[in-house]
Amino acid sequence: MRTPRLAAIAFAAVAALSLAACSGGNSAAPSGSAGTSGGSLVVDSGFTIETTDPGHTYDPTGNMVAKALYETLVDFQGSDVSTPIPGLASWTQNDAATEFTFTLEDGRTFSDGNPITADDVVFTMDRVKGMTEAKPNFLLTGITVSKVDDKTVTFASEVPLLQLPAILANPALGIVNSKVVQENGGSTTGTDSAQSYLDGASAGSGPFVLESLDLTSQIVLTKNPKYNGDEAAAYDRVVIRNVSESATQQINLRGGDTMVALDLNGDQVSELGTDFTVDSVPSGQTIFLLVNQDPAVGGITSNVDFASAVRSALDYDALLELAGSGAAQATGVIPPGFLGALETGTKQDLAASKAALAKSGYDGSTVKLQYPNDYPVGGVEFTPLAERVQSQLQAAGINVELAPAPFATELDSYVGGKEAFSMWFWGPDYADSANFLPFAPGLKVGLRAGWTADKNSTIAGLATAAQTSTDETERKANFTAFAKAMQESGPFVPMIVPGSNIATAKSVTGAVYNSVWTMDLAELKPAS
Amino acid sequence: MTATAARPSNSRGPRVRAPRGGRLRLPAVWRTPLAIVGAVIALAWVVVAFTAPLWVPYPPDAQMLPRLLPPGTDGAILGTDALGRDLFSRLMSGAGVTIPLSLMLVAASVVIGTVIGASAGYFGKWVDEVLMRITDLFMAFPTVILAMVVAASLGPSLFNAVIAAIVVSWPQYARVTRSLVLGLRGQNYVIAGRLLGHSPLRSLLADIAPNITGPVVVLAALDIGSAILLLSGLSFLGLGAQPPTAEWGSMISSALQNFDAWWIGLFPGLAILTVVMAFNFIGDSLRDALDPSSRTERAASGVVAAPKTEDEALKGTGASA
Repeated sequence: MRTPRLAAIAFAAVAALSLAACSGGNSAAPSGSAGTSGGSLVVDSGFTIETTDPGHTYDPTGNMVAKALYETLVDFQGSDVSTPIPGLASWTQNDAATEFTFTLEDGRTFSDGNPITADDVVFTMDRVKGMTEAKPNFLLTGITVSKVDDKTVTFASEVPLLQLPAILANPALGIVNSKVVQENGGSTTGTDSAQSYLDGASAGSGPFVLESLDLTSQIVLTKNPKYNGDEAAAYDRVVIRNVSESATQQINLRGGDTMVALDLNGDQVSELGTDFTVDSVPSGQTIFLLVNQDPAVGGITSNVDFASAVRSALDYDALLELAGSGAAQATGVIPPGFLGALETGTKQDLAASKAALAKSGYDGSTVKLQYPNDYPVGGVEFTPLAERVQSQLQAAGINVELAPAPFATELDSYVGGKEAFSMWFWGPDYADSANFLPFAPGLKVGLRAGWTADKNSTIAGLATAAQTSTDETERKANFTAFAKAMQESGPFVPMIVPGSNIATAKSVTGAVYNSVWTMDLAELKPAS
Repeated sequence: MTATAARPSNSRGPRVRAPRGGRLRLPAVWRTPLAIVGAVIALAWVVVAFTAPLWVPYPPDAQMLPRLLPPGTDGAILGTDALGRDLFSRLMSGAGVTIPLSLMLVAASVVIGTVIGASAGYFGKWVDEVLMRITDLFMAFPTVILAMVVAASLGPSLFNAVIAAIVVSWPQYARVTRSLVLGLRGQNYVIAGRLLGHSPLRSLLADIAPNITGPVVVLAALDIGSAILLLSGLSFLGLGAQPPTAEWGSMISSALQNFDAWWIGLFPGLAILTVVMAFNFIGDSLRDALDPSSRTERAASGVVAAPKTEDEALKGTGASA
């Protein structure tokens, strides 16, 4: 058993050396591009991408690429995802929030020079709706899209859908060139076969066009010469490389081998020093503790008083310390920056915790805390976080034993609602607070905590009210009421919203994190 | 490096000149530099393992210091980890987890392996066939993979990791014991004992056991190092010690997430290195002292320079483990 270990060490050393050699030879450094427009941009990221067909895109890397190749009807400004702004189109809505009318911007063209028309919009939406196996398909459930004239399209829904503009900002719904896609197998009837074409070329109106795609190593984008919007690319060429280890990204960035690193954790960005620019903002993900309410699963801890005891036992500042820069305390199930999020989070209060613990009937027995140990969220490793939670709960009189397992092993029992006490995370599918309603009793995440609708009909009612609001002010009030009630008597303990860090060399400016598409490549410019 | 290099030359000098039966009554093999270095280091670690809780500056799980302190700052001799735990305290407490368990698992493997091997060798025929094919079955799997399968199916915990390690390490004792017993079974004194009406158990214990103890002890001593590596390896993979237990393998695993803080991984790595090497040195010296065949080889090879013999002994270790 000694020999394989030695071999492994030797192999690791050789691999490290060859990796270093590779990245050294691979440096697509900007050739005298400083100050002038053009040149190349190199971005390091751990790939999650599966395709460059926007209709099948549903992952961070894919969204970033789709955002560069295609344009959506609705856009967001920088990292602010709370206010949708017009993208390819501006819109009006009816009072019931069931019908939205979009008017396309004048004179905009695809990368082949053809104008963007209402037909392209309708085709794009119907194509996604037709592909029932495509991951973004659910975004358009219950929505009917119809053409009014060449510049106007209506989106209609049975129920009030104030989140529609936010949904349409998803890069998966980027408008494709219907003629080109149809010529290459595109269809709206569910028999679409254009994905293989769109993996080799782009057919959109975004600031970039696709040069090449290799799902395991790199994606090359070049400037779209026919782009006539207001966010033209500043670089002629963008190379996005797959570097899965954040430590390697950090080394590449320091060595000048890459210009942008997307996956550094809080500790790594603080080690970078002043030669680099770092944009750290809270991501949309929330790491929370779940206390199962089903006595058959949770036993003695299956009540909301135990959750309250845990909630007030934690020292959130000490937890935040582990998450590094950009992270924020989760003030509720709706993370800060989203509509209806609470202003302040829970503070540690050991007396309140003791009282709630006594009420819960907890008898001092050891509770098992389950969590995935190989799936860092926003650079936050779960194991150290769980160790700190354990030590804080210990101080509050709750005995916790850690039970980590790989993500793939743990996921089933979490989704099946089989975990009594566990640590998980939740991220929005699109930038709207409606994404956090599943925490309500009887809904997706609530059921994972064994929290059926009859266990708290008040909160279930608040969730329904928030879901069906037709007025923005009323909607916000409803979301706030929901978030507040969840903090007071819910089975969840929201802890941390991890930060998202984009580190760039000083030669690049404008990198801003956005929770929907990670980073808009067109916003990056050479420093003058 | 210089310390260990200096020690051998110092100790070798007097050894050559010292008259037989001098003040130190240790056998000659025990006075080899390797044996002394190994014994000193191993003894030190064993003492640490059993006394660490009494004198470490902080409880191993206490998160009371600033995070990621480099070694030597603020009273943290070896620095702190990502949670602000004192690395020195964790390292020393970690010895108390790994070393006793490794010794226990080797002892358990020895007992299981020798019982099975002795039965197979003594009774022969179908008993031998069945037991040895079972042994072959266990030996056919790559050690670490089999241990991972066992640990993963039992659920990750230190106790299950020890069980997994026992499962993969008993077969070698069974094989060695069987071959020794096969050779001894036909010896006159064993046959004489049987003719006197000794039961198989008495025959094995009284006539055979004394003759196989030496080689088995040598094998066990050489195996302690591998046992430590296997246990820390399983913990490194998340199948052994569970957080927040201070265990060397899991400490190295947590160092992967803080690559720039080199001290988190380096010191547990050095701890494993020193303790494994120490036990291997002891094993080598024990082999020279107890294994009759290796002693005969030595005698037969006549005037071979001492250093060369040590090299050969090292090579032999590598091949046998």
